[in-house]
Amino acid sequence: MKNLLLTICALFFSIATAKTIAVGTQFPCKKIKQALLLAVDGDTILVYKGTYKEGNILISKKIVFLGKDFPTLDGQQKHEVVSISADSVIVKGFRIINSGYASLDDPCGIKVYDRTFIKIEDNILDNNFFGIYLQNCRNCLVKNNKITAYGKQEQLIGNGIHCWKSDNLQIIANKISGHRDGIYFEFVTQSVIWRNVSNKNIRYGLHFMFSNDDAYITNVFKNNGAGVAVMFTKNVKMYNNYFEENWGDSAYGLLLKEIADSYIFNNKFARNTSGIYMEGTSRIKVEKNVFESNGWGMKIQASCMDNEIVNNNYMKNTFDISTNGSLVLNTFNANYWDKYEGYDLDKNDLGDVPYHPLSLFAILTENTPSAMLLYRSFMITLLDKSEKVLPSITPDNFIDKTPLMKSLPL
Amino acid sequence: MKKIFLTLLATGFLMSCGSKEPKPIKLNADPCDFCKMTISNSKFAAQLITQKGRHYKFDDIACMIQFAKSNTVVPYEAFFVNDYLKDNSFIPVEKSFLLKGGTINSPMRGNCAAFATMGKQQEYQNQLHAEAITWKEVYNSY
Repeated sequence: MKNLLLTICALFFSIATAKTIAVGTQFPCKKIKQALLLAVDGDTILVYKGTYKEGNILISKKIVFLGKDFPTLDGQQKHEVVSISADSVIVKGFRIINSGYASLDDPCGIKVYDRTFIKIEDNILDNNFFGIYLQNCRNCLVKNNKITAYGKQEQLIGNGIHCWKSDNLQIIANKISGHRDGIYFEFVTQSVIWRNVSNKNIRYGLHFMFSNDDAYITNVFKNNGAGVAVMFTKNVKMYNNYFEENWGDSAYGLLLKEIADSYIFNNKFARNTSGIYMEGTSRIKVEKNVFESNGWGMKIQASCMDNEIVNNNYMKNTFDISTNGSLVLNTFNANYWDKYEGYDLDKNDLGDVPYHPLSLFAILTENTPSAMLLYRSFMITLLDKSEKVLPSITPDNFIDKTPLMKSLPL
Repeated sequence: MKKIFLTLLATGFLMSCGSKEPKPIKLNADPCDFCKMTISNSKFAAQLITQKGRHYKFDDIACMIQFAKSNTVVPYEAFFVNDYLKDNSFIPVEKSFLLKGGTINSPMRGNCAAFATMGKQQEYQNQLHAEAITWKEVYNSY
């Protein structure tokens, strides 16, 4: 009992001693570095509005680092702006600009080195090489940051939120544009990416490499150089995302390469060159997604197997499906295809004749892309029709046996 | 007139044969022919030219080697690797000096960097804590 009382007393005492150090032109403490020297674990540093050009700001104590009215921390294109090397640090409310550029050590707006329980919230990052970089971290939260860069093609630039070798991260409600990859995960496990908007990045909106057991939910990936890539990974959940306006020869709404045991549910793929491109993909369920107005709804390479494609809507795509081989190891069931011309005599809302999603012309253009010139010509339409009746070039088992008569309300 | 036409025709034919020189990489536009990723860092880029003069571009030396091993049908003319210290500057592999491992971080984790001179290789060997390695060893390691 006495012990407990003592601990409680000690607790109160420690709270009482935690102090707030104000930084600003009107206070005795005019520089952030000065305040960092004065601070001890548990203190708060409150920075008032102004521009602070103090080179690299290294936080090596367990403190709360707050900005009031978005004070500007300027790296003058020479330094990494904020470095964190203590656990449980909170960085909130800053405008962090102009980190160093393109040297070998990847300078960042905010970089965290081997730490746990860090919170990076409500910051504005502008014109940094890398935005936020978490290296070897656990249990961290990156929330509500606005990260902007001005990368151009033909130029080296870092990623918006770069996470490497980490675990249990939450990346929530950030807005990222103009970086190489909006969000980049490499060797990151058990993490969630939720409600982010990743637009106009040079390469990918989101990029997974060797990152297992993660989920990304309700994000918007729009107008990125090459869409989203999930590679060399297993057990990833992808729910309720938008993949839009990713145009280009090697651009895909979603690029899946060497990935297994994942679940793609309730996403929308609209106006991409290819909605999904799959290569070396196995045991994936693609369910209740919308593929609309894409060049190719899905490109499934022959190296894919045991994938289930169920209950999706394919509407207004130039080609619904395309593949590069004759081997079919994936199943299509109960999808809605707007190109389906069958009938439903028994009124069970399922078409009575199977649908061949693979058109002859899709195969021809896969082998000879320039054949695209003949698209919608009379001869091709005729060939396509005869192929539907008597499949000769397209694999005859590439079918949806129970196509839906009406689109799903997704 | 006829002569000019013929020369033009001949040059046209020659041009279409494809050069045996590496082509520059368009950063953030060209995809890697093995891993399909868009090449965004030419430091680690590599390039393969077939005997017919077709160019394949890669974002990592590991990608080039895996590509080369997976395809035994088309005969290869030459392998090129990019100078670690210079963007878009390809060196034939036989003339390159390679380092592997240490703090070298390449896009597809091949973690192999190429240098044009032995001096630079030695200089960066200490800086990157990497191992000097021959092309043959690298080829067999992926």
